[in-house]
Amino acid sequence: MRTPKARPTLRSVIGRGHLILALVAVTLASVSLTLLGVLALRVYAEHNLHLIARSINYTVEAAVVFNDSAAATEALSLIASTEEVAQAEVFDASGKLLAQWVRPETGMLSQVELALAHALLEQPISQPILHQGQTVGSIHVVGHGGSLLRFLLSGLAGIVICTALSAWVALYLARRLLQGITKPLQSLAAVAHAARSERDFDRRVPPAQIAELDSLGSDFNALLGEMEAWQSHLQSENETLAHQASHDSLTGLPNRAYFEGRLIRALRSAAKVNERVAVLFLDSDRFKDINDNFGHAAGDAVLVAVAERVRAQLREDDLVARLGGDEFAVLLAPLHKAEDAQRIADKIIASMDTPIRVPGNTEVLTSLSIGIAIYPDHGATPGTLLNAADAAMYQAKRLSQGGQQTADSEPTAANVIHRS
Amino acid sequence: MNVAVSPTERSLSWRRMLLVALLCVLAPRAFAQASGPADQRAQAVTQVVLGILSYARWPVEPAQLRLCIVGPTQYTDDLVKGTTQATGRPVVVQRLLADHPDIVSACDAVYIGKLSADERSRLFTSLIGHPVLSISEGGDQCTVGSLFCLRVGDEQVSFEVNLDSVARSGVRIHPSVLQLSRRRAPAS
Repeated sequence: MRTPKARPTLRSVIGRGHLILALVAVTLASVSLTLLGVLALRVYAEHNLHLIARSINYTVEAAVVFNDSAAATEALSLIASTEEVAQAEVFDASGKLLAQWVRPETGMLSQVELALAHALLEQPISQPILHQGQTVGSIHVVGHGGSLLRFLLSGLAGIVICTALSAWVALYLARRLLQGITKPLQSLAAVAHAARSERDFDRRVPPAQIAELDSLGSDFNALLGEMEAWQSHLQSENETLAHQASHDSLTGLPNRAYFEGRLIRALRSAAKVNERVAVLFLDSDRFKDINDNFGHAAGDAVLVAVAERVRAQLREDDLVARLGGDEFAVLLAPLHKAEDAQRIADKIIASMDTPIRVPGNTEVLTSLSIGIAIYPDHGATPGTLLNAADAAMYQAKRLSQGGQQTADSEPTAANVIHRS
Repeated sequence: MNVAVSPTERSLSWRRMLLVALLCVLAPRAFAQASGPADQRAQAVTQVVLGILSYARWPVEPAQLRLCIVGPTQYTDDLVKGTTQATGRPVVVQRLLADHPDIVSACDAVYIGKLSADERSRLFTSLIGHPVLSISEGGDQCTVGSLFCLRVGDEQVSFEVNLDSVARSGVRIHPSVLQLSRRRAPAS
C-alpha cells in the first residue's frame, strides 16, 4: 500500500519552504549584525580602556612623583572600581610596583567576562606616566568584558526571540497561503469526482483568488460545459436511435419487436396475478385497392389515420403496434372480461365509418377486420396468442369484412395449423 | 654634576641621574657600608623637595631655581649637591644664615631647618609679600608661615601644606600636590 518514499504534502512543502527562508534570513541578519556589533564594541571598549588609563595616569601622576604608594592606590581604586577594569597597576620609573587594584571576583560570570576580554581586546594596556616631559612611571590596565558579554547575551536572546517570532510568522503565512491554494484545488477535485463518478456535469468550480488557479477553474468549467453538451447530445441521439429501433417511422406506432416485448412482459405479470390479457389482430380490408387506385401516398395517409383512430379508442396503458403492411395489433392488459375486448373491437370498427382524407383532395373509406385472442383462454405464449388472433381475424374477414371474431376455445394449436 | 653621569645612561630622569651621581660620588663609601637609613631619608627628602619644586609656578619664572638652605638641617646631604629639573632648569643650592639680609632677592625657595622661634618669625616676616616657596624640615610649627612642612618617617617622607601661606605667597602650587598633602595631613 505504502509507496517506498512518501510524497510530501503541499502543506509540508510550503511550510518547510517558509520556515527555511525565515530561519536563513534571521540567522544571516543576526549573525552579521552581532559580528559587526562585536567589532564596533571592541573598538569602543579599547578606546574606553585607553581613556581610563589616561585618567588614571593624570590622577596618580603626583602620587608617583612623590613616590606615595597610599595616595596612588587610593586614586587607582577610585577610578578603576567604577570603570570596566579588571586589574590596574602603577609602576614607578624603576619598574617597582607602586599601587595595584584588582577587581574582586564575583562569581562565574566574571571569569567569562575576563576570558571574553582577553579573547577580544588587545591588553593589557600600558601607558607611561609623564611629569614635565619625563617618564616617571607607567601604568598597566586590564579591562573586563562586562559590556561585551551583555551585548553578546542580549544579541543571543534577540536571535532566539527573532527566530521564534519569524518561525511563527512563516508558519502562519504558509497556512494562509495554503488555504488560498488548497481550497480551490479541493473544490476542483470535488467537481471532477462528481463529474467522473456520477456523470454530474451541472456543478461548477467557484472562482478562486489566485489567478492561475482561477484560470484553471474556469477552463475546467468550460470543459465541463462542453462535456455536458456532448453528453446531452449523445443521450438525445441514443433516445432517437432507440425510438427508431422500436417504432414505425410512418405512423409513429411501436413495431412488431416492441409489441412482442411488451406482450411477453404483460403475460408474465398476468400469470403472476391471474389476470386476463387480450390480443387484437387488425387488418385493413381494402388497403390493397386504395394503394392501387389512389397511390402509395393515399395508402400511407390511410395507415396514419387508422393508427390515430385505433389509438384514440384505447386506454392509456393499452398498446397498439403496426406489425407490418396494413396489419396492426392491440394489447389490452389488464382485461377484466372477454366482453370488454369485443366492445373495444366494436368501437374500433365503428371509428372507421368516417371517410379518410387522402392527398389528391379525395376521401376514401376503409374498414378493419379484427381477431381477438384472450390469455389464458386461447394461448399461454405470445406466439400462440398472436396466431390465435391472426386466425380469428381471417375468420372474421371470411365471414364479413369489417367485423370481428373471437378465437375458438378449442386448443388453438390445432386451429392455427388447420386455418393456416 | 653632569660630568658624573655615565655616557651609557640614556634616561634623562632626574631621579635616575641623581642616583647615578650619588653612586659615583659615594662609591667608595657605598662599598664599605650599604646606604643606611639616613641616606635613604636624605634621598627621599630630596625627591619630595624636588617634586614640590616641579609642581610650583612663580609669577616670573627664574632661569635657574635658587634653593637656599637656612639653619641646621638633618636630611640635606643629598639635596645640597644641586641638580637639574626635568625641564632642563638647573637647581642651585646654597646655604644661607637665617639673618642673611638678602634672602628675599637671593632665593626662589627656602629649605628651613631648626631655627629659634625668634629667627623663624623674623625670617617669615621678611618673606611676606615675596614669591618665595618655603619648606620646613620639622613639622612642629607648620602652622606658622611656612608653605610646606615635611614629615620624615622611616617608610616615607610626607608633607603638609599651609594653604593660607600658599595663597599669600604668590607662588602657585599645582592642585594635585595640594590634594596629595591635604589627604595626608590627618593621617600623619
